[in-house]
Amino acid sequence: MTGTARRPASSPRRPRVPSRARLEEARLGWLLVLPVVAVITVLVFYPLALGFGLSLRSVHYASGTPETFVGLKNYLDVLSRPESISALLHTAGYVLVSVILEIVFGTLIALVLDRAFRGRSILFAILILPWALPGIVSGLLWTRILNPDNGLLNSLLLQLHVIDHYQVWFSSPVASIVLIAIVHVWGVIPLIALIILSGLQSVPAELHAAAAVDGAGAGAQFRFVTLPLIRPAVAVALTIGTVAALGIFDEIFVLNGTALGTRSIQMQIYLTTFGQLDFGRGTAFAFLLALVTLVVSIAYLRGLRRAAV
Amino acid sequence: MYPSRVQRIVRVLGVVAIIAWSLGPVVLGLITSVSTEADVQAVPAHWLPEAPTLASYQTLLGGEVVQGGIRTPTEVRAFGSAMANTAIVTVEAVVVCVVVSVLAGYAFSRLRFVGRKVAFIALVVTLEVPVFALLAPLFQLMAGAHLIDTQLGLVLVYVSAQAPLAVWLLYNYCRELPQEPEEAAMIDGCGRFAVFWRIALPQMRSGIAAVSAIVMLSVWGQFLVPLLFAPTIATKPVTVLITEFVGKYSSNQPLIVAAGMLALLPPAVVAVALNRQIRGMLSGWSN
Repeated sequence: MTGTARRPASSPRRPRVPSRARLEEARLGWLLVLPVVAVITVLVFYPLALGFGLSLRSVHYASGTPETFVGLKNYLDVLSRPESISALLHTAGYVLVSVILEIVFGTLIALVLDRAFRGRSILFAILILPWALPGIVSGLLWTRILNPDNGLLNSLLLQLHVIDHYQVWFSSPVASIVLIAIVHVWGVIPLIALIILSGLQSVPAELHAAAAVDGAGAGAQFRFVTLPLIRPAVAVALTIGTVAALGIFDEIFVLNGTALGTRSIQMQIYLTTFGQLDFGRGTAFAFLLALVTLVVSIAYLRGLRRAAV
Repeated sequence: MYPSRVQRIVRVLGVVAIIAWSLGPVVLGLITSVSTEADVQAVPAHWLPEAPTLASYQTLLGGEVVQGGIRTPTEVRAFGSAMANTAIVTVEAVVVCVVVSVLAGYAFSRLRFVGRKVAFIALVVTLEVPVFALLAPLFQLMAGAHLIDTQLGLVLVYVSAQAPLAVWLLYNYCRELPQEPEEAAMIDGCGRFAVFWRIALPQMRSGIAAVSAIVMLSVWGQFLVPLLFAPTIATKPVTVLITEFVGKYSSNQPLIVAAGMLALLPPAVVAVALNRQIRGMLSGWSN
């Protein structure tokens, strides 16, 4: 038993002698991973295969017509329908607004938190709070602020004489999408800020000192020392921010219901699948969105690798 | 290098902005929840209620209350059950998810066995499968197994959705742990399982706490999954009930917001209490 010294799991060379200890290790290994493997096989991979089958068939539970194999028709259908196109555009809007705000303000928050100061740990607890709250509740809290009839934002702006009458904030789709994105950002930005912060903290202080000696001001230091070094963290933050915004649903549901003008892809999928009971087309749309999500993650990670070389 | 006065002023402004942004909506919600409908309807707003009242909370928590001859409607009385549903399912899902993830995370990082790589890659792939892509087939599967509107059904869906991330986080966490104590125990003749149980597990405590918190926060806030899988008050969680309030009592904002405040209390407590552990885990996520 004493012969098999533990090496790091990635150790390339290991005596290939099957011993009782190695057998015991292998048996225990499988025993320990078995529950998770069983769960993801039955509840992820199996439904994934079922879903792919669904997406190739015409499955209308509402009309009761029998299922037929239609090949890629559902996918083409999704891509040509005006309601899917507008859901796509809305989602692009949510992603764009959210990600820009998250990266810009997330970096600013991270810069504020970068150096230790008294009370920083309390500030961390405060910062993390919005991320912890259910999206439904965030939406609810912001409804109180953005309500056109008695919302607090209207009241504040009126009392500060910025506006002379109450505004209907959700009057145009563009304004609605921007506002809903801001509510979404409220819940995601703590995570983004923490990830960028972990990048900032990996920048050695000597580099700043050296740059300062060379006469670089705070701005130049940020541009030429900090920014290149936090690129990996920013890439991860971008991925997480984009994937979160691609799946936006809860905030829209509370703030504006399923209104046509602010529907996201996720919401259109929900309505197609469980509203119109068109499981085939709904699943095809869901698979397309999953594909986009996957491509985005891979693209960021590849960009990240190139940046690192 | 000491920060200049300008830098210090900028930092103070930044700190104030972060606090206002993060806490503003929550504080305004708290104030709204103890206001009357008249306070909320006022134009311009009453920033503080004229006479703070806990009536909304009483209505939500007090079972059947008669106010001005009006009985509390059934949906409102259901609030307590919905909170209980959320709490029970969340605890069950967290326990199951964390147990299976701790076992797997440890095994993937420390044990060598045939098929380890394949199983691990399969797991990492599922990290990239969003739950919404599986909703329709999962719904069929669950309906076929008569698991719609059951706690078991919800717990299964949540565990399958959360376990990949939990395993991934715990795997990374285990790899950072020193291996010497485990090696020493093995040299002393400790069996492989005993090493895991008696030596490694106690070392993983703070990682387990962090992952439990992360899973708890995610499950507690679920909305779309229970909207489909938990249609009746037998399993309906508080998030879904709140959206029904929004539709039915749009004029009674104090009531709706009070429901929101009660629903955010447990996650807020967990996030604040475990924020150091959660932060440690989240920054490891990006590596």
